[in-house]
Amino acid sequence: MVDAARQPRIDVRTYTEVDKVEGFVGNFKVTLREKAKHVLADRCNGCGDCAKVCPIEVPNYFEINLAPRKAAYVPMSQSVPLIYNIDLDACIHCYKCVEACGPLEAIDFSQEDQLVRENIGAIVVATGFGHFDPSVMAEYGYGRFPNVITSMEMERLNNSAGPTSGNLIRPSDRKNPLKLAFINCVGSRDKRYIPSCSNFCCMYSIKNAVLLKQMNPAMDITIYYMDIRTPSKGYEEFYDRAREMGIHFIHGRPSLITEDETTHNLFIHSEDISLGRVIENEYDMIMLNQAAIPQPDQNHMSSVLNVAQSPGGWYMEYHPKLRPMDSPTDGIFFAGACQGPKDIPSSVAQGSAAAARASRILHSTRWEIEPTIAVVWPERCSAETRGRACGLCVKACPYGAVVIEGDKAAEIITAKCHGCGGCVAECPEDAITQLHYTDAQILAQMRALLADKPEEKILAFRCHWCSYGGADLAGTSHFEYTANERGIKVMCSARMDSDFIYEAYRLGAGGVLYSGCHPQDCHYITGQLIGAKRADRLKKIFDRMGMTDGRFRVEWISAAEGDKYARVLNEMQTVLDNMPPEALKEEIEKLQPDMEKRLKRFPGVPGVPEAMAYGDTLVRAIKEQKEPA
Amino acid sequence: MSHQPDEVNNEELRIGVYVCHCGSNIAGVIDPEEVVQFAEGLPDVVHATDTLYACADSGQRLIKEDIEKYKLNRVVVSACSVRMHEPTFRAAVSEAGLNPFLMEMANIREQCTWAHGHDREGALEKAKDLTASAVAKTRFLTSLDMIDVPVTQRALVIGGGVAGISASLDLAEQGIETILVEKEPTIGGVMAQLNKTFPTMDCSI
Repeated sequence: MVDAARQPRIDVRTYTEVDKVEGFVGNFKVTLREKAKHVLADRCNGCGDCAKVCPIEVPNYFEINLAPRKAAYVPMSQSVPLIYNIDLDACIHCYKCVEACGPLEAIDFSQEDQLVRENIGAIVVATGFGHFDPSVMAEYGYGRFPNVITSMEMERLNNSAGPTSGNLIRPSDRKNPLKLAFINCVGSRDKRYIPSCSNFCCMYSIKNAVLLKQMNPAMDITIYYMDIRTPSKGYEEFYDRAREMGIHFIHGRPSLITEDETTHNLFIHSEDISLGRVIENEYDMIMLNQAAIPQPDQNHMSSVLNVAQSPGGWYMEYHPKLRPMDSPTDGIFFAGACQGPKDIPSSVAQGSAAAARASRILHSTRWEIEPTIAVVWPERCSAETRGRACGLCVKACPYGAVVIEGDKAAEIITAKCHGCGGCVAECPEDAITQLHYTDAQILAQMRALLADKPEEKILAFRCHWCSYGGADLAGTSHFEYTANERGIKVMCSARMDSDFIYEAYRLGAGGVLYSGCHPQDCHYITGQLIGAKRADRLKKIFDRMGMTDGRFRVEWISAAEGDKYARVLNEMQTVLDNMPPEALKEEIEKLQPDMEKRLKRFPGVPGVPEAMAYGDTLVRAIKEQKEPA
Repeated sequence: MSHQPDEVNNEELRIGVYVCHCGSNIAGVIDPEEVVQFAEGLPDVVHATDTLYACADSGQRLIKEDIEKYKLNRVVVSACSVRMHEPTFRAAVSEAGLNPFLMEMANIREQCTWAHGHDREGALEKAKDLTASAVAKTRFLTSLDMIDVPVTQRALVIGGGVAGISASLDLAEQGIETILVEKEPTIGGVMAQLNKTFPTMDCSI
């Protein structure tokens, strides 16, 4: 902590939040909200005279609310930086602090939140984790029984800098407890709450038990566990040491804690798996090892950063094995528990690893980004054909990368375009294309995928970042789904042009899946919204046409939802299986003229006639290969 | 090369198709040779072959040598996910003098053999179609250059816990200006709230 504050190239900004992240790798524009401390950082010398005279006391979050702080406060005496805060929510404006501060004049009640814009090349996200609230588990009585506390509360009670100066007392009578129990996996590995393992709690409870035992060898300490997980270097040896010290380990998950109302002593009811019987033991005090959970504001931060979340809410890394520190957004990296629960050594290692990943970019003066951007054919823009640009492309762009000046055709600012393809699909004049994802390329792919027995096929449009990843995960996890699926990847659901969907049905596709990221995960801020709006419109059109429900499906599938990808495809297959082949064929043929009508303009798109002609040759070749004469 | 749309490609196409076994990951479910035979019959495919591991040095060397030998100007690799090896094969064709964006992958592992082990026949049909789809796309691919952007040599670390502090120190010690943002009034995070920490059992601050 102190090292960070002392390092001249680290600018520590506490009491500050990230409001907005715009831009792209090497060129992020970040808006920081420096919350008003009502204390001038350059004048405050950390003397604490303001806190001494402040008459207001409120619970201190840093002490897990076990001790008060003043309205003029630092969370702890070793705060870095040592600059006081005036908490205006608690303050009664007596201004005694101003008086106490005297000639320093460090207190400024007129201070307001400051929005500061910073140019940044790369970002490391290390937002950490939160703690599961065990009061929702009625069986453990946390919040009802004073002597059931969390391990984090114990940390403060056993800490020489804590509210009791390290004298561990039990809350009901302030006596020193002698018989204690820790319960592991409180909320974690529990299908009702957090199904996953919180990673560090085994070692954490052993550490606490050893510390207590060292402090007072007469203490009788028991750890209730489901499994003891000690896989890292030195961990198993530490577990051995704890057992040698006389710490008891009971293999069983307690089902109930009851309390003696007079003594406030507690009884743990549990199975002891080693003995194969139900046990009941009395304790003076019980510590619950809460599950690690994502930060309460992780969903919000996920939207600010435009990064996806894994099941459970942790940030989703680009690839679990090959790029574990990278977010899917180039230039944004994860470190520590925000990506999943981690202990201190792993978090430190990840901090270094993320720094190394970020420094590849930060030591370069230039960086390369993919050229899959949008490009305008100016002569096709309505500015040229009708004298006025319609501006739908400008509306569709999440980045302000499309500009229309006067009566000139729309223009794309290359450096601002992220390549979602929203403007391409929205342009009513087909005047914009996307490099590497042109209409001709996608049409040629569709012709190949629907060449043979199209009515049996489910054409699946997937966005690169989420649904394509979801399909990958379905495979990696070996979740089996129908082999009739045929996938086409575009960068974002915003690129999924209505013409592609009409064309798929014109070509006789049995089903079409339209899938992309969940709105909060979209890699292109609001790209998914554009895709979703269009998908809704299409769904209504197909319903009106009388298309069987389920032949067109819109689903938002994240890269973490392999199971969902497989399920959706299987459900679509069931829809097709439930239709008699003649009925399906009849429906396809019946709707074809309508599709053709809607595709009137499609052949006018540059490259499309060539792709159509090529498609005919290709389909012939594929059919010849599959059914040799 | 400019970033201009150039839909119609009039050059003579010479497409090479590489079907990867990925050991038994792909070849355990389908016969790659059948995909190769199928690909040979597709328009503009001048060479198709299977390879045990396309991503291995030997597989990449094969592709590079073939680009020269068969004068290939488009390459299709039917193998794994683009999320896995697109950079590998882009680099490989690039080393052989081909624009990296003239290489297209067909995902016949994650999105085919791994997901359809229960339906080998269906998986084979799908692998053929996905390969044909990649061949079809290459017909309309154009050379593209990466876009070169400047870099602001400043880092932002969000979160002043143990991971954020570690990242900030490493960045700063490399000479990179770093802003460390913490929403609470002090850095330290959960770690600062702990009593002594394992394995050194010393103060956490």
